Amino acid sequence: MNELQSLLQGFSLAMTPYNLMFGFIGAVLGTAVGVLPGLGPAATISLLLPLTYALGSPLTSIIMMAGIYYGAMYGGSTTSILLNMPGEAASVVTCIDGYQMAKQGRAGPALGIAAIGSFIAGTVGVLGLSFIAPPLSRFALQFGPAEYFSLTILGLTLAAYLSGRSIVKGVLMVVFGLLLATIGLDPISGKERYTFDTMILMDGLDFLTLAMGVFGIGEIFMNLEGEMKSELVTTKIANIWPTLADWAKSKWAVLRGSLVGFFVGLLPGGGAVIASLVAYGMEKKASKEPDKFGQGAIEGVAAPESANNAAASASFIPMLTLGIPGNPAIAMIYAALLIQGVQPGPFLIAEHPDVFWGVIASMYIGNVILLVLNLPMVGLWVQMLKIPYAILAPIVVLICSVGVYSIKNNVTDVLMMLLFGVLGYILRKLDFELGPLLLAFVLGGILEKSLSQALLIANGNFAVFVTRPISAAFLALVAATAVVPLLLPLVRRRTARQQDGPAG
Amino acid sequence: MKKWQRINALAFFLVAVFAAVKAAGIGFGSFESPGPGFFPFWLAVLLAVVAAVYYAAYRGADEAAPPRKYWRLRRPAIAAAIMFVFLQALEYLGFGTATLFLFVAWLRGVEKQRWLKAGLVAAIGTVSFYVLFVVLLQLTVPRGLLI
Repeated sequence: MNELQSLLQGFSLAMTPYNLMFGFIGAVLGTAVGVLPGLGPAATISLLLPLTYALGSPLTSIIMMAGIYYGAMYGGSTTSILLNMPGEAASVVTCIDGYQMAKQGRAGPALGIAAIGSFIAGTVGVLGLSFIAPPLSRFALQFGPAEYFSLTILGLTLAAYLSGRSIVKGVLMVVFGLLLATIGLDPISGKERYTFDTMILMDGLDFLTLAMGVFGIGEIFMNLEGEMKSELVTTKIANIWPTLADWAKSKWAVLRGSLVGFFVGLLPGGGAVIASLVAYGMEKKASKEPDKFGQGAIEGVAAPESANNAAASASFIPMLTLGIPGNPAIAMIYAALLIQGVQPGPFLIAEHPDVFWGVIASMYIGNVILLVLNLPMVGLWVQMLKIPYAILAPIVVLICSVGVYSIKNNVTDVLMMLLFGVLGYILRKLDFELGPLLLAFVLGGILEKSLSQALLIANGNFAVFVTRPISAAFLALVAATAVVPLLLPLVRRRTARQQDGPAG
Repeated sequence: MKKWQRINALAFFLVAVFAAVKAAGIGFGSFESPGPGFFPFWLAVLLAVVAAVYYAAYRGADEAAPPRKYWRLRRPAIAAAIMFVFLQALEYLGFGTATLFLFVAWLRGVEKQRWLKAGLVAAIGTVSFYVLFVVLLQLTVPRGLLI
């Protein structure tokens, strides 16, 4: 069966009224929560994840989660444009020109181009996903434990490198996350590790409890430090559809943003965040009027919004085909799939073709739903932005608590969530990025299993990781990622000296 | 600020030492046949090394400039305390009462709202979420002495 046929079959699955309904509910809920200031896609998904557990079918569940993810990405742009407050890191650059446009009475076209750009980019991303994922999956079938170990190391290295200003801090978070993942019973021998003879730690730390704690509760603590003062643009939002002049200015920005976003989104690590930053910088460089950037240039909204949505679609590729989630939000979808009994990775297409193709088809549909949803419902989202944070914060606490409680019906888990919230708050205050910690926590199991298996097969010989070509290639990339940042300043200094030489 | 970074580094280093000692006690196994402590042990060693590098990066005298961020702990601390009491109330008094407490305590203690507003929002919030979680979504919520 070729890809097109499989995709058509995916459409037939995704378009059942039941799946369509949950895709729609996911998109609406994702947008509604994503619009709220202080709640990014990762927090939104962690908040809404328990709802998807009750759906029964893994396909319906992931369709709803994909809807939530896309919705949260869309919602974040509305917050950035109208409130000058990025709902998530990937929308930071959208604030620059989006809010200026809103202040100039052009909130409508800004929101419109963000929605249309996101739709086009999302579609480009899903098309790429449809045609790149199957061959990548087939290629990944050659992977053994050594390749998986090296690939996971590569993913974690990139996550540490791309996540923030300090690589050392990124690596610290990765190793700490891996260590947290070892708590509980050893999967092979059944021996207790770091459980301190307590029942609650016997099953290991729960991913959702950790995610809701560090992202949901930790975020609240951070926001409570200062007053959540927002400057909502309250002028009537009109002319959502961009004019021809607006469109002429933005069409290349949307296209470039989509392509940049897609390729950057394939990388594990800061996917959508890096994509939006690169797209904005590239657009400013390509522009004939770079001075207008920062003063309400529509291209300054079109490029990053397209890029972050293309990246959001592209980030599904490594997760679905290799089993390596690239960012915290995708890591949550990955963990939820595991809970549903579906193991993402190269065997996913063969073992669960319904899930794989159904999800891809639902993404096409989800993009249309979001376009239809966002343009006419902007007024509703603006009303949601008016909910005071004083009321919003206890609501988030309540939803997180009920969500975590519903997993095992145990209040101790909710207490653990509070502890993780405090931990997340402290780490954030100390400028640590929590994305790598969460990714490492999710990938810890794969890393340990692949390391143990590779060593068992190779009789304890570590050379197995460098003698197998694919594994060696991944490790070479790891080395390059680690070494290049160290060498760059030296190269720059040398070039500068050479340039000074002839002149002087 | 450098002082804080050094304290972080030391804290991570101590966690690493503790984790390594515990892992060694679980059973290291061998390279040919890794035991349950093998992976955590090497992770702990790596954590210790990275923490040492982190410490070294922030060695030396503190900058004269004030820290970029200050610890403004009052409201987060009150919020954490309210959440802790809310969890106890959740277990012993039940979802409804605990939710009512959460809203009132939060709006009064953290947000300094007036009693009337706090009470009104709490009542509406509690009823709305009870209907949403218990009646509509039929989620299992803790039931204590009260609702």
